[in-house]
Amino acid sequence: MNDHNLSKLFAAARNEPAPTAPAEFSADVLRAIGREPAPRPAMAASVFDHLNGLFPRVGLAAAAIIVLCVAADLGVTAIGMPGVDDGTAQVASQYLFNSDDL
Amino acid sequence: MNDDAELLQRIRAGATDEFGELVHRHQARVFGILHRYERDLQRVEDLAQETFLKAWRALEQFDGRAPFEHWLSRIAVRTALDHLRREKRHKDDVGLPDLGDDVLDWLRNPDEKNELAARDAAEVLHRAMQQLAPTDRMVITMQELEGRSVKEIAEALGVSGIAVRVRAVRARAKLKRALEKLSDL
Repeated sequence: MNDHNLSKLFAAARNEPAPTAPAEFSADVLRAIGREPAPRPAMAASVFDHLNGLFPRVGLAAAAIIVLCVAADLGVTAIGMPGVDDGTAQVASQYLFNSDDL
Repeated sequence: MNDDAELLQRIRAGATDEFGELVHRHQARVFGILHRYERDLQRVEDLAQETFLKAWRALEQFDGRAPFEHWLSRIAVRTALDHLRREKRHKDDVGLPDLGDDVLDWLRNPDEKNELAARDAAEVLHRAMQQLAPTDRMVITMQELEGRSVKEIAEALGVSGIAVRVRAVRARAKLKRALEKLSDL
């Protein structure tokens, strides 16, 4: 079978008419659609949905870091070590708002 | 002719029955596409119904940037590809009609014989193409029988233009071998 004969075969096959749909075809499709579960109405996306769509991993990582920091602060406060707020107050009093330097 | 976009707007607004009109408008094209891959008319009808059901389910995703007809054709092509993959898995279960003497004569002496009748040619090709991988078969059918461009085929099948060209060359070579094998029957 050479290229020319294959092309002849394709050319002949191209002329085959397609079968016509039965007269009731569109009605059958509508009946099948009627058996389909009703489509759920689209719900409005919240701000969080949009953010999640834009930064799915960054958002998750940021939330995880915040939760870890709060938990660590609560933990160190509970065992008596100075927490983040104590450290901040110390830094503020020693360096930022030290009245001796004013 | 009433515009598809207008009809779609009414369907989306809740006029489900109007989808019947949309089916009626495009059924000839869908049947035409599917018949390239399936010879049994009852199966073509089932696949066409599957195509329109998929379109119905995905109607919200149709954004109207391309004509509805193109979008629907892509769904028909994907339905045909799924069908070929299923058929490939159950290849041994599918009965094949015998080729007539005229067809076998033509295959043995294609240079000397007149052109085959359209139906016989399509039947021979269908039978030989069963030897091809489903995607290769889609590529060569769309290129040779439907006259689609490489870009159109690539878009419809979700592959690159280079992949389409490679598959077309491979499919053509394999098809020739399959036709030669058929002539030995």
